[in-house]
Amino acid sequence: MTATYPQVLLKNRKPDRITTLSEYREAGGYEALRRVLTEMDRQEVKTRLADALLLGRGGAGFPAGIKVSTVAEDAPFPRYLVCNADEMEPGTFKDRVFLHAEPHMLIEGMALAAYSIRASHGIIFIRPEYESAAKILEREIGIARGEGLLGERILGSDYDFEIVVHRSGGRYICGEVTAQLNALQGRRPNPKQPPPYATDKGLWGLPTLANNVETLACIPHIVKNGAQWFKDLALTPEAAGTKLFCVSGKVNRPGCYELPLGIKLSEIIETCCGGMKDGATFKACLPGGASTGYLTADHYHIEMDFDSLKKARNRLGTGAVMVFDHHCCMVAATLNLTEFFARESCGWCTPCREGFPYLRDLLWRIENGQGEAGFIPMIKTMCRHLWKSYCAFAPGGVASIESLLMNFEDEVMAHIEGKGCPFKK
Amino acid sequence: MLPEKLKSELTAQIARVDHPREMAIDVINALQDHYGYFSDEALAQAADLLGMSPLELDELATFYTFIYREPVGKHVIHVCDSLICWMEGDENLVAHLCDRLGIQMGGTTADGLFTLLPVCCIGYCDRAPAILVDRQVHGPLTIDALDRLIDTLRENHS
Amino acid sequence: MPTLKIDNREINVPAGTKVIEAAERLGIMIPRFCFHPALGSVGACRVCAVAFTEGPVKGIQMSCMIDAQDGMVVSTTDAEAVDFRRHVIEFLMLNHPHDCPVCDEGGHCLLQDLTVAGGHGLRRYRGLKRTHINQDLGPLVQHEMNRCIQCYRCSRYYQEFTGYRDLGVMGIGSRVYFGRSAPGMLESPFAGNLIDICPTGVYTDKPSRYIGRRWDYQRQPSLCIHCSLGCNLTASARYRQVVRHEARPNLEVNGHFICDRGRYGYAYASIADRPRQAMAAGTPGPIVDILAGAREAIQQTVEKHGPGSVAVVVSPRSSLETLAVVKEACGQHGWTGPAAAHTNRQALNRNTAVSCLRPELAVSLAADTEAHDVLVIGADPLNEAPMLALSLRQVQRRGGHVIVIDPRGVQLPFDFDHWAVHPSAMGAILQALIQEIGGHRATAPDTPATFDITKLARRLNASPRPVVVCGTDILTPHEIALAGDLARALRRTHKVAGLFYTLAGANAFAAALLHDQPVSTEAVLDRIEDGGVRLLVAVEQDLWREFPDRKRLQAALKRLDHLVVLDYVDSPLNREAGHFIPTQPLYESGGHWINQEGRLQAASPVMAGGEPIEITGGSDHPPRVFDRRIPGDEPLAAWRAVAALAGEDEADPAPQLKTALADFHPAVNLSTPEATGQRIDLEAIAHDLVESGPAPEPAEDDAPADAVVLLLVDWTFGTEPLSAMAPALTRMEAAPVARLHPDEIARLGLAEGRPVTVSLNGNRLTVPVQADPRMAAGVMAVPRHHLLEWQVFGETRVIVKRSQLKAESE
Ligand code: SF4
Ligand code: SF4
Ligand code: SF4
Ligand code: FES
Repeated sequence: MTATYPQVLLKNRKPDRITTLSEYREAGGYEALRRVLTEMDRQEVKTRLADALLLGRGGAGFPAGIKVSTVAEDAPFPRYLVCNADEMEPGTFKDRVFLHAEPHMLIEGMALAAYSIRASHGIIFIRPEYESAAKILEREIGIARGEGLLGERILGSDYDFEIVVHRSGGRYICGEVTAQLNALQGRRPNPKQPPPYATDKGLWGLPTLANNVETLACIPHIVKNGAQWFKDLALTPEAAGTKLFCVSGKVNRPGCYELPLGIKLSEIIETCCGGMKDGATFKACLPGGASTGYLTADHYHIEMDFDSLKKARNRLGTGAVMVFDHHCCMVAATLNLTEFFARESCGWCTPCREGFPYLRDLLWRIENGQGEAGFIPMIKTMCRHLWKSYCAFAPGGVASIESLLMNFEDEVMAHIEGKGCPFKK
Repeated sequence: MLPEKLKSELTAQIARVDHPREMAIDVINALQDHYGYFSDEALAQAADLLGMSPLELDELATFYTFIYREPVGKHVIHVCDSLICWMEGDENLVAHLCDRLGIQMGGTTADGLFTLLPVCCIGYCDRAPAILVDRQVHGPLTIDALDRLIDTLRENHS
Repeated sequence: MPTLKIDNREINVPAGTKVIEAAERLGIMIPRFCFHPALGSVGACRVCAVAFTEGPVKGIQMSCMIDAQDGMVVSTTDAEAVDFRRHVIEFLMLNHPHDCPVCDEGGHCLLQDLTVAGGHGLRRYRGLKRTHINQDLGPLVQHEMNRCIQCYRCSRYYQEFTGYRDLGVMGIGSRVYFGRSAPGMLESPFAGNLIDICPTGVYTDKPSRYIGRRWDYQRQPSLCIHCSLGCNLTASARYRQVVRHEARPNLEVNGHFICDRGRYGYAYASIADRPRQAMAAGTPGPIVDILAGAREAIQQTVEKHGPGSVAVVVSPRSSLETLAVVKEACGQHGWTGPAAAHTNRQALNRNTAVSCLRPELAVSLAADTEAHDVLVIGADPLNEAPMLALSLRQVQRRGGHVIVIDPRGVQLPFDFDHWAVHPSAMGAILQALIQEIGGHRATAPDTPATFDITKLARRLNASPRPVVVCGTDILTPHEIALAGDLARALRRTHKVAGLFYTLAGANAFAAALLHDQPVSTEAVLDRIEDGGVRLLVAVEQDLWREFPDRKRLQAALKRLDHLVVLDYVDSPLNREAGHFIPTQPLYESGGHWINQEGRLQAASPVMAGGEPIEITGGSDHPPRVFDRRIPGDEPLAAWRAVAALAGEDEADPAPQLKTALADFHPAVNLSTPEATGQRIDLEAIAHDLVESGPAPEPAEDDAPADAVVLLLVDWTFGTEPLSAMAPALTRMEAAPVARLHPDEIARLGLAEGRPVTVSLNGNRLTVPVQADPRMAAGVMAVPRHHLLEWQVFGETRVIVKRSQLKAESE
């Protein structure tokens, strides 16, 4: 199955334990860090990241190379590096799998990213459900420190870098970087629109670079093998690198797979995941978590990379592929997602805070036989207006509703006209 | 009352960081573990330790899923009800739990052993339907497996 | 200065102006909930959306979040923007109760206005409403959370703006809850402003609940007279009763807010025991007759003992009109006075401050907030002039720094440096500071090493905008002059050094202009005691409550041939009077006041007067007794009464007032309406009243080492005589205690929580002891609390020997 594609992040993945520090080093781990500290200058690291076209793996897909260079040379110290291990996007569990496999790859990636911006403080922000990963990280950070890979004068250089693990109290919005910075400072995790940007004034008003686990984990490989090598990993010319896809729902083998960007959706489902469960038919999927829109059978062979999905007016998001078969009611699925967003809205801005409960109410009525044809234009208008919310949460939250009405309006009408859910009959 | 040991440990931890507030969630968690939930008493003590006002701490405590400002049972069962677990039948699990434990969603059993709460996607969609019991994940769960889990938890207390 | 177009009209605004504010300048009121000029923009409510059609920003955006920029073209009427705003309002109404007709905010509710204006009229949402449980937030603010629209104004105001930390936001999503962690009294003495800033009726004015709709009220611009800052407010009256104060924005004085002493201190004007009946020796009579009787008594006294045997004391709280007519009367007739301060020290303090306040140094309360470094000398802002504390909070929020040099345990709702120095050391410290600022090394006065004068001088010298704030309650004239010197010294190195005094009394500044050499009540009492003064006229000056030696006062009154009292508060003094004439509080008289920075301000009369219907009709309305006159309408504006005492029988007092005002002082010019609201001509005030040379050695320097200085001080609630009569504020008052440093308590052999008795010259004051580690050593601070008979020692700053203190066993 996946063996046909090169494995980078999960190459040494063991079924039930992590790669230990010595195993990681044997496989060439911390080599990039050593090289950078002894042979390369900071700029070189930044250049490689930029050239590698590494796009943030946490959902937004922002170029990591650009982000690194927004920390001004003359910015004040101390500077912070935040690793976002919050992974709260429904359907997403790639970071969990990765953290239980390769903690040192993350630690090395963090040390490298931190070095490039001269950050001395690293923080891993992790969701409470991943307590076992938090424990692993704390232990392995200690081990790395013992080996001189973290702490003061790393590998004999004059570079100091410390990492701590920060446990979240658990809320979806904490994955949003500005909200996360608030959470880290013991404030309510409401998002905060820039300016100032975190790379300028982040934690405690100091420059802060925040990246997702997977993004940081790519860095040692890019530094070691070069930008071109990284770009060549992807199947499509615009894309670069592999991606951790986590597939769930109605497939035979749900799980986390490292695959080249640009791989076809059909191949993920059929080759990696062993096809649809119980011989059912593919109806739709969410390509990148709860805040992306449905891909229907029309897109069954779409190339899974940032650009192709953008062209399909969708998003790669976190790469969490959630698969629906022909038994699934898309209204009910969308209702479930809307419930999620209504519950997790941070409560800061009106359209999101009030709009999702409103949309949930309308969808609930449609699903439960109280729908009216007039609801459809109401929902459409409301979704359009929710785009004018304060942060990206609400536009993400309406993605499924908008694509429901775009792709499955017949199914919605069937609910309304039949006064109930056709799938429940 | 907070045991001296815990108090001094927390004080030391707080003293090590640059800004006491950054420790808020850790302190809340520690006190919650001690008291079973984040009681008003715990709130006042945590606020004291952190140099925050009770309100400032309550602003945080009431925001998060895993901080309980009201009493909960010895074991808190969070049933994931987000998309994939829902597809895989979390509703059956909930119905079964309500039935077996004799409580509603949100309730606590009379013996104070179990509290049942929903939770948003816990990142174990590859193991759906999944639940968290005391932050430990269990899944994929069948009704039978769930029964066995409850039995074990019960036995541990008798 | 960007130029932009809003709804096809061009406007030029200063850089940094938000589009929502630019529109407001054009008279276009873009809807807003979370935006508030004092709190700034946060983009939470989303109701200020407008369309940007051309220029650097495109699409539907929040007008409160976008700086006006050149070339912007903005439409507030764009269809998508209008529809979006309508939706936002619909969203806000999902859970809002539909009870406008019976809601106490109805009629002055921003949500109500914008819901109607936004075109959301029909409810489409069919779900249930979520509801909340309300909290008891104390006696001043009523909580009704179901009305909340989650604009976050309250939590931002309370925590960010005022610096208090007991009200905020809890929960998440559509269940967010604004309130306290547990029900209880709000800690901020600025909590009442929540009522004004909440765009709906979550926080409403508790004392005026169910009294009326805002449109039922007689509302007029008025002033607060509960301290010298002169905050602007709108007073409301209904059924002949003052029922509510709201903050009235004045961006040069109080900004958008007032303190709770000012907001709730009005009850004295309408309480049942307010004297409304003129009396002669305790017998009621028509006011004209009583006035005639009093005039006659004055004439007889003058005839018998000469004009100087008649003395007048007047309150530094009285209106400028009253002060002017009193001054004119004394001048014309040769009467003694007017005295408008209790003790010689207080009179000198006030006049020193006023004469030191040079025009180039004076700054307003609002300008204080722009200071970078503020040195507070001998002032306790929160207790003496509460809104000053709020201004200083803004200094700190903007990254500035506040240093307080004061012996009291000064508290402020933010981080500041406090030098708790003994009162006797203040002068030396100031002198050393002045020297250091001038670049001369000063010999360090005998103060703890933590008070690094050199460092402080360097800090002030390096500050882009230093301001010196100085109190006049506990200091001596010399120190007050030194504060002025300090500001002047800074001025040499800074273009923008400021000086800000707080004074005792809302019109103390005007009182300082009565004479070059101030007269005090103390001096008048001397003259009574030596037989020189035989008749005393007390104009709105409740000596009983306020003069610091009640025994001496009583004895002096006994020696008088005659006492004439004019006042609007009930006092035993009134019953001592041969003639008592009821006067009108400012709600009835209106008038002008000059605040502590020299700003002339006007208050309009709010109502005609008369006994509240609540009293005459026992709350029954309409009253069942019919009369041509309103019951209790006899009180006169004090200036009219004084004019009647001083002038001819039946003369029209209006011209008299006009002359009196014109002659009052060259610095005060009331002839043009523009003068009101502006600072008076400080240049025209003699600045040579006080010499700021070497210190006149304060007597207490010779005080034995085992002595403490007893300071009788102001508290936010409970000491200011008028507001102390407000039932709503009773629960806000702390019980009176003597505060001392814990070491001092031990040194003096006292015990925390136990009473101490101070005996001095045969007078005694007993009060429980409270430890306050912020206090300076050798100092004891006791509030001039209305529950305490503090009027015993003749001064509010006295030296007490250890032997004069006794620990009581209870
Ligand atoms: S869009 Fe939602 S999550 Fe984002 S700020 Fe607004 S309420 Fe919070
Ligand atoms: S209580 Fe009032 S001010 Fe506070 S958030 Fe609600 S509506 Fe806004
Ligand atoms: S600060 Fe003074 S003038 Fe202002 S409202 Fe308060 S008491 Fe009145
Ligand atoms: S007023 Fe602009 S978003 Fe609230």
